[in-house]
Amino acid sequence: MVDDKQAPSPMDRVWNFFTSVKLAIITLIVLATASIIGTIVEQNLPVEKYHQIYEDWAFALMDKLSLFDMYHSWWFLLLLVLFTVNLACCTIDRLPRVLKVVRNPRTRLDEGLEKSLSLADRWKKKGTVDEWATRYADALSSVFAKPRITRGPEESEEVHLYAEKGVISRFGVYVTHLSIIIIFVGAIVGNVAGFKGYVNIPEGGEITKVPVRGGSRMQDLGFALRCNSFRLETYPSGQPKAYVSDLSVINDGHEVLRKTIVVNDPLRYKGIWFYQSSYGEAGGTTALVAVTRPDGAPVRMLSLAPGEPVRIAGYGAIRGVDYSGDYEGKGPALKVVVEKPGKPETGFWIFSTPGADAARKDSLVFTFGGLNAKMFTGLQVAMDPGVNIVWLGCALMVLGIIIAFFMSHQRVWLKIARGKDGRVEVVLAGSASRNRLAFEKKFERIQTGVKAVEP
Amino acid sequence: MSNVILFNLTTVLFGVASALYLGALYAKNEKIARFGTWTCMFAAAVSTAALGLRWYESYQMGIGRIPVTNLYESLVFFAWAVNLFYLVIERKYASRSFGAFVMPIAFFTMLFAIKNDSTIQPLVPALQSYWLHAHVITCFVGYAAFAVSAGVAAMYLLKARQEEAKISQGVVGLLPPCKTLDDLVYRAIIWGFPFLTAGIITGAAWANYAWGTYWSWDPKETWSLIVWLVYAAFLHARITRGWHGKRAAILSIVGFLATIMCYLGVNLVLSGLHSYGGG
Repeated sequence: MVDDKQAPSPMDRVWNFFTSVKLAIITLIVLATASIIGTIVEQNLPVEKYHQIYEDWAFALMDKLSLFDMYHSWWFLLLLVLFTVNLACCTIDRLPRVLKVVRNPRTRLDEGLEKSLSLADRWKKKGTVDEWATRYADALSSVFAKPRITRGPEESEEVHLYAEKGVISRFGVYVTHLSIIIIFVGAIVGNVAGFKGYVNIPEGGEITKVPVRGGSRMQDLGFALRCNSFRLETYPSGQPKAYVSDLSVINDGHEVLRKTIVVNDPLRYKGIWFYQSSYGEAGGTTALVAVTRPDGAPVRMLSLAPGEPVRIAGYGAIRGVDYSGDYEGKGPALKVVVEKPGKPETGFWIFSTPGADAARKDSLVFTFGGLNAKMFTGLQVAMDPGVNIVWLGCALMVLGIIIAFFMSHQRVWLKIARGKDGRVEVVLAGSASRNRLAFEKKFERIQTGVKAVEP
Repeated sequence: MSNVILFNLTTVLFGVASALYLGALYAKNEKIARFGTWTCMFAAAVSTAALGLRWYESYQMGIGRIPVTNLYESLVFFAWAVNLFYLVIERKYASRSFGAFVMPIAFFTMLFAIKNDSTIQPLVPALQSYWLHAHVITCFVGYAAFAVSAGVAAMYLLKARQEEAKISQGVVGLLPPCKTLDDLVYRAIIWGFPFLTAGIITGAAWANYAWGTYWSWDPKETWSLIVWLVYAAFLHARITRGWHGKRAAILSIVGFLATIMCYLGVNLVLSGLHSYGGG
């Protein structure tokens, strides 16, 4: 004897496991609970710190469970993979069915369907079925949506009208689920093809390589980044107001980009971003020099380290060689040496009086801005080619959630048939996938609109 | 500063409104509840004016920034949003009994707020960004919706116990039917969820613009994800597995507890990058 209902095959069982919403709910709760652990156990501290906090046996156990870098542990990643597989399987399992229902809607209001709908109304009219079908189709178009017209079984005199709105709401949930997968793809792309790093640059210094976070590798930038100056601005109360780094990108010896960055306003060049992140004293002093045109138009600020030349595009190189607190009674001054291509070096003193240097009749005018403790700026460096994929996923997620929760698939049927008593029998019915209370009111309006039709 | 005086007045008004709604429930007197509604509307006007004034005063001090940047301001903004949410619901569901459960949330939030430093402080460099506006507003509208949901869930649990025992008199008899409450628990969450999602996303976008990393598993980020996961579980359980009534109500309250942990607990208990709390 063969049993009608065969036990599901192992393959089916695996499939049913991965397509169940129960699994999704459990995974969500387990992910939430596991995430709590990582907020209680501080992550990625130096090993000595953990030894101070925890007993040896607890440390050994937690280390084995990778609790110190939990969010990157094999078991947490496995949970994320399970979550993603579940999500993908649910979509593969259900989306075709939804597509089928959307492509081939039930356009006929048969008895079974009629009984399953709570919103329904019946009435009778004199005349022919076809006349009323045309009138009601027009009415339905104006109060709700243009209906599809289906004629009943051959012998019976029967016409079915079917109209729908908001069919897109059936897809909101799939858009949301797809968006999560897109975000994960973006994150993976960023991890594989991008890098994150951190670098300190002293004022006047240049870097071409950045140490990559979480490894000993140096990432070559393909260009040089110079820190012209760093300054800390404070509010009158003394609280920090802004951390400001003046940065230049130098490619093949030319300055190709210059930007003053602050926190929340990074510099970007060739897909690599530099973020203001830290600062400190680099040791030694630098001299500030304001460079202007003879008419007073500012060109740039220089921060000169003793004896180190700084190039000015289209002019030459300048370096500071001596300082005097009061030079010949004219106040603090800096001796600089200018080197122009093909010309002998010239040395001269510059002062803090604006425009005093114009007497030299050079193409640029220098004004001494005082001495500073030499600072360094600390920059986060990131290249993440996956980040736009992540933003695409995020946008789709918000869109999907709004479609899923705030739109509703509304359907209205009208059946017009010749009754036994020779009159035309009309049945109006409707349903909505979501927010039924609001649809009840709408259905009343449709009812009134349709019933108001007169020959 | 005059904005603080207005916020103190708001606190008093929220307290009066809560007392009126509770009183109306006990005295079974709709008239008293109507005074509650007027008080809430007045409080809405006063607190909105106070927020505007605080914003204006920050410009006068030469600081110039939106008033949602420290614990005091965020609590005040949260209470403001809860009050507005409540008024919308009262109108839509035509029942004033929600007030006794929702307005005390706003009142106690304000009581907690006025214990904190209320001076207008300048923004540290990390917070000077336009993302601040979008991030804080979306998050707190979400939190307020979850607070309303949890308040109604508490009403549901009371009402359901009584319906089981088939008692219809007493204070609880005045509450809306279980079906309405159950619907509202869900409805508040489907408003809160997209706002929380947008709040997490704007936070990620901001973090990426400030530090070059959109997600770094910092405790605040992680807790916001936990809250998101709990409500995602709620929505799946509700929509596909028919979790209604008691289980849904309990899950809504659990979600709100996670929200409180995310909002306050992380700053008071754990360490992180967000500016309110111990600082």
